[in-house]
Amino acid sequence: MELRPPIVIASGVGGMGEYLKLIDPRYIGAYTLKTITFKPRLGNPPPRLIATERYLINSIGLENAGVEKFIEELENGLYEELFRKVKVIFSFAGEDFEEYLKVAEKMAPYQDRFVAFECNFSCPNVHFNPLSDTNQLKKMLIELRKKLDVFLIAKLGIEGAFIEQLARLVEECGWNGVTIINTIRALHIDGETLIKGGISGPVLKPIALRAVYEVRNRTNLYIIASGGIMNETDAQHFFKAGANAVSIGTALYRDPTIVERIAKRFL
Amino acid sequence: MENFSLSRCELIRLNRDTFIVTFSEKIDFEPTQFIMIETETSIVRKPFGLGRWNDRLAIGVQVIGPGTAYIVRQEKLNAHGPCGKGFVPPKGRGAVIVTLACLPMVFDLQERYDCDVFIGSVDEPWIEVPFPLVVGDEAFLKMLQSLNGYDWFLVIGSDQMEKIVYDVLKDKAEVFVSFNEYMACGIGACRGCAKVTKHGLKHLCIDGPVLRGEEVWS
Repeated sequence: MELRPPIVIASGVGGMGEYLKLIDPRYIGAYTLKTITFKPRLGNPPPRLIATERYLINSIGLENAGVEKFIEELENGLYEELFRKVKVIFSFAGEDFEEYLKVAEKMAPYQDRFVAFECNFSCPNVHFNPLSDTNQLKKMLIELRKKLDVFLIAKLGIEGAFIEQLARLVEECGWNGVTIINTIRALHIDGETLIKGGISGPVLKPIALRAVYEVRNRTNLYIIASGGIMNETDAQHFFKAGANAVSIGTALYRDPTIVERIAKRFL
Repeated sequence: MENFSLSRCELIRLNRDTFIVTFSEKIDFEPTQFIMIETETSIVRKPFGLGRWNDRLAIGVQVIGPGTAYIVRQEKLNAHGPCGKGFVPPKGRGAVIVTLACLPMVFDLQERYDCDVFIGSVDEPWIEVPFPLVVGDEAFLKMLQSLNGYDWFLVIGSDQMEKIVYDVLKDKAEVFVSFNEYMACGIGACRGCAKVTKHGLKHLCIDGPVLRGEEVWS
């Protein structure tokens, strides 16, 4: 996969393409859609967000209308403008191993539309953590690889096992890349309000940087680095650690024009 | 929807902690739409209702923390918008009830729709306000109880104030509420500003900010 510029809009943050209203598509290497699951998901009840200067905790919970609805929208041309303007990465997940496979089966006929499929194995806002059972994970990686010919990316987090071990498994199963890292489980308490969610933002940078470094030293996978990239210097650090592309997520909330500034540096 | 930089023209102090900030830029917007403003104190932008003051683009700001203090302090602000749906009332005569911080939002509403404006404030304003204004909880409640003969109401203010207005007025006419919820993107991408309604989940940045009160509170 070649992305020019090597900048990806992160899944979840980027919604279903809404940021094209605020970012010139010339500066986007690929746009990852919000994660689609097999069944529709309402997501978590509000409040869903809390932000400070250094981090954001979100508890969205993979709200989406499910893969059948997504395919219906795809066939009805809802995303044509998006496809025309940028390369698109399809992100998907399931509530168990079986559901990951079902989404892959449903989406297999459409895989040519996308530059890659990103399998979200690490959402901190759902109860199922595929990374905690490496035997099952391996079986699923092999099955998904059989079902899909597209460039396959595993989105990994740091909870479950050492990320470099997981990445090696991903590579052994014939996958092409990893997006590292996802948000990390976090808790916010304010009076009676309690938000259990995933933390993102600048606080993640040293953790994500180490993860990229370790994975680069042990695999030849395509690495999309994600976690605390807020400016050009951060992006440069991730490339130095071994990333092939950087994913911009939470930084979009502070300033969508950051994508253009980083892209101009690396175009 | 676009990114823009806002240049401050005037800072008008309405009372102890509430300000109107006017800008030299012109932006087309519909009543109750908002912009997302960047601050140095949060990783996400903050939503502010768009309005006018002295024929200039304006927002009202109640300083309640470092983020709002930053906004009244800065000469230049980065923002994007306009976000949200413009409010279109049903037919008939309406009443718009707002807090002092929402004052800039009412001029376009009154220009476009047949409505009266009423303001509730905790403190006496330091400047003359061109609408009926009451100070204090007791006077505010009395004012609400006296509002009769309207076909619709719109309330814009804090969560607590909006609920009080809804409870007092809900049997007199339809009450529309400009709801408040934590936002991150303001453009429908992140799904953070979800509101539970009797018709399912709604997202204030694209379905709102104005919803029917009974959708949420009945």
